[in-house]
Amino acid sequence: MSDTLTADVIGRRVEVNGEHATVRFAGVVPPVAGPWLGVEWDNPERGKHDGSHEGTVYFKCRHPTGGSFIRPNKVNFGTDFLTAIKNRYVLEDGPEEDRKEQIVTIGNKPVETIGFDSIMKQQSEVLDNLKILYIRKVDLSKNLLSSWDEVIHIADQLRHLEVLNVSENKLKFPSGSVLTGTLSALKVLVLNQTGITWAEVLRCAAGCPGLEELYLESNNIFISERPTDVLQTVKLLDLSSNQLIDENQLYLIAHLPRLEQLILSDTGISSLHFPDAGIGCKTSMFPSLKYLVVNDNQISQWSFFNELEKLPSLQALSCLRNPLTKEDKEAETARLLIIASIGQLKTLNKCEILPEERRRAELDYRKAFGNEWKQAGGHKDPEKNRLSEEFLTAHPRYQFLCLKYGAPEDWELKTQQPLMLKNQLLTLKIKYPHQLDQKVLEKQLPGSMTIQKVKGLLSRLLKVPVSDLLLSYESPKKPGREIELENDLKSLQFYSVENGDCLLVRW
Amino acid sequence: MRECLSIHIGQAGIQIGDACWELYCLEHGIQPNSVVLDRQQDQLENAKMEHTNASFDTFFCETRAGKHVPRALFVDLEPTVIDGIRTGQHRSLFHPEQLLSGKEDAANNYARGRYSVGSEVIDLVLERTRKLAEQCGGLQGFLIFRSFGGGTGSGFTSLLMERLTGEYSRKTKLEFSVYPAPRISTAVVEPYNSVLTTHSTTEHTDCTFMVDNEAVYDICHRKLGVECPSHASINRLVVQVVSSITASLRFEGPLNVDLIEFQTNLVPYPRIHFPMTAFAPIVSADKAYHEQFSVSDITTACFESSNQLVKCNPRLGKYMACCLLYRGDVVPKEVNAAIAATKSRHSVQFVDWCPTGFKVGINNWPPMVMPGGDLAKVHRSICMLSNTTAIVEAWARLDHKFDLMYAKRAFLHWYLREGMEEAEFLEAREDLAALERDYEEVGQSF
Repeated sequence: MSDTLTADVIGRRVEVNGEHATVRFAGVVPPVAGPWLGVEWDNPERGKHDGSHEGTVYFKCRHPTGGSFIRPNKVNFGTDFLTAIKNRYVLEDGPEEDRKEQIVTIGNKPVETIGFDSIMKQQSEVLDNLKILYIRKVDLSKNLLSSWDEVIHIADQLRHLEVLNVSENKLKFPSGSVLTGTLSALKVLVLNQTGITWAEVLRCAAGCPGLEELYLESNNIFISERPTDVLQTVKLLDLSSNQLIDENQLYLIAHLPRLEQLILSDTGISSLHFPDAGIGCKTSMFPSLKYLVVNDNQISQWSFFNELEKLPSLQALSCLRNPLTKEDKEAETARLLIIASIGQLKTLNKCEILPEERRRAELDYRKAFGNEWKQAGGHKDPEKNRLSEEFLTAHPRYQFLCLKYGAPEDWELKTQQPLMLKNQLLTLKIKYPHQLDQKVLEKQLPGSMTIQKVKGLLSRLLKVPVSDLLLSYESPKKPGREIELENDLKSLQFYSVENGDCLLVRW
Repeated sequence: MRECLSIHIGQAGIQIGDACWELYCLEHGIQPNSVVLDRQQDQLENAKMEHTNASFDTFFCETRAGKHVPRALFVDLEPTVIDGIRTGQHRSLFHPEQLLSGKEDAANNYARGRYSVGSEVIDLVLERTRKLAEQCGGLQGFLIFRSFGGGTGSGFTSLLMERLTGEYSRKTKLEFSVYPAPRISTAVVEPYNSVLTTHSTTEHTDCTFMVDNEAVYDICHRKLGVECPSHASINRLVVQVVSSITASLRFEGPLNVDLIEFQTNLVPYPRIHFPMTAFAPIVSADKAYHEQFSVSDITTACFESSNQLVKCNPRLGKYMACCLLYRGDVVPKEVNAAIAATKSRHSVQFVDWCPTGFKVGINNWPPMVMPGGDLAKVHRSICMLSNTTAIVEAWARLDHKFDLMYAKRAFLHWYLREGMEEAEFLEAREDLAALERDYEEVGQSF
């Protein structure tokens, strides 16, 4: 480590026993002799102090225990790209040495692994013939790269690079507007957990004219400006786990012409609005968006899905683990409601929506909100149909569903009374035509009660023997008509006695 | 040379076959019309293509017109499912003679599949098999895809396997079987069908890879975010395993694993030939690139029950053999380190009488996923085939269900009507009991 005390070591990324850190200071720390490196750990609890020692501040850390002083020889600066490739794929030691390494023990038995020599030979041929230039995909994640310049330096050598993954490298991005080097063949760029900001994203993207997929998970991104000349070819944008994103920022990326997949999982989003489109109209935002992922968010309003209906090209949606869809019991109902709310949806939560399911969902929706529709002024006669603004906003597709399946009929909307005993009781009036001074009673009797038992009840009430009683009934629906209840063994139901009818007792 | 014939039987076998050939075509760059995709490539790519032409010959037959036709046969006793293939995306991939369907199906009845309805179709199937075998220079063996629980999958397969052993006695026969799920039943008589078919097929198969719908269903639901996994989702995952197992046969690789090598390394006794499959990493497409998976990570994941394709608990059993098939960006040094890490897991116990051999296969061709599917594309993957005594749990479950129904002779008349006798049931059940005892015996210490 001959360059330990030169200034360019500051800002470099290092690794010590599996933990990553950034060098913030290089020099002497009196009273102890010898060179020291002051590092700020990625893990804020790993260190002992915040960069100061015995009162003197040598460097600054963001956390009070984020820093440490380490001897330069204990620190791993990593290797360069080509050496790393050689180390991984090529046999550096002789075959004999490697054979020793191959014997591993499990329990007490040596484990044999067979046949590695030929693989290693083949893989080293890759490098011998300088086929490195044809590398298409590079995964440099979790390394010690410290700046975007270093990445460009590597990528420049790889003319055919299509996929570049530099996740989990804390990179410094240059603040100037011109970045050297274009990655002309690059299609997929993965910058998860790099600490990049939106402005820096746009600057890097300027060097990737053909970029199709951009992954920016867990970067605390705040979308600050609208991309004008960059990102226009991007088809997939992954903004998962960026908690600072809110729906207003999404307007800034709403006009990317080719954006087909947008991943907003775990961003804390609770709503989306497309104010440029009214009820039943399509928005001009996100014109090509086919697949939207909003798992693990805070969606709790059904109006969210009404807004999604405004998207012109939406075909697939993933909406798991949101407050609205959390309950297992409710999952089935939630699924049907979502399907009914978004007409062109073909796949929900990675399950294809078959025509049968869609039909069932839409009919259910139509029935479920039928009473509300009626109360809001709905009517099957289009002349008389005057729906309130409120209803139309809450259920924008309802009119369309009425057109498709017909307006809901009254009999469909009758709510079923639960099958409890009290709902099966008939409320009957009891009159005594021959004894006009007796009060008219009202009693609740089950329909399955036999005439004999009714007579028994009345007999106890009136203190008249059962054999003297003659029963009949009349119904307000058919006034004037009296029906005799002659067969003691039959029930009230048998005689079609209904709620509100009147029993006539004579003796 | 070293060609393999795939035979897909019954609805399960055919649907898995459909997904399987779709994936193979993706991996080899074959278009749905059987023509190899002639991408404009630089020299290196073309050189690689020539190389691979020689190896996908094991699974595809090249016709004079330059088309690549799969070496496969699809058989069902009723036409609906096969019609799906005849009219589907891949209809031009297969020759019409490879898609065989009868008129009347087996109605979830082993007896119909084996005796009554199956016997009418068997000769035609054997004739077509002969034709396909003749096109091969050096046929290695057969890969049979079927389910245990269905009528055709159980009954017809046992009939076919018997006849294949008769005609091609020296050829290996490997099975990919869908085992009836413990808690999700598609047919009440699955236990009958499964026991009967296992009894009659065991002596004719060299190795059976089992897959359980419930395990795969759970994986799809929990790891891939699929709310209600359909057969399509399940099959897409299953074929990744099938592809890993056959990768060495289809791509040139330094560690080639012939069909015979599987047998030799995984099967200690002829009847103990039911390895368990596990696959890693299983990443949802919505979470692509969120996590990096090193060789160590995926190797450890294989030993977790959430990555297994059969519901059983290997911690309760002992391993007899283990095969690790790596695909993609994997180097031997990392494999060694990964295996060393496994040794510190006390839950991995080997039987006393078996040397702790991990057979390792590495194929540098990366795993591919179907576009629009649920899985994310990863740099490297592993498929683990392990012969563990814990799989006896699966058989015990099945036998228990069989016993419950047989004790009351429930549903038996459907089988007796087709000409079967109760004696066959008893024989089959005895055989499975013996299998359970065999497993217990091999697991015992000295």
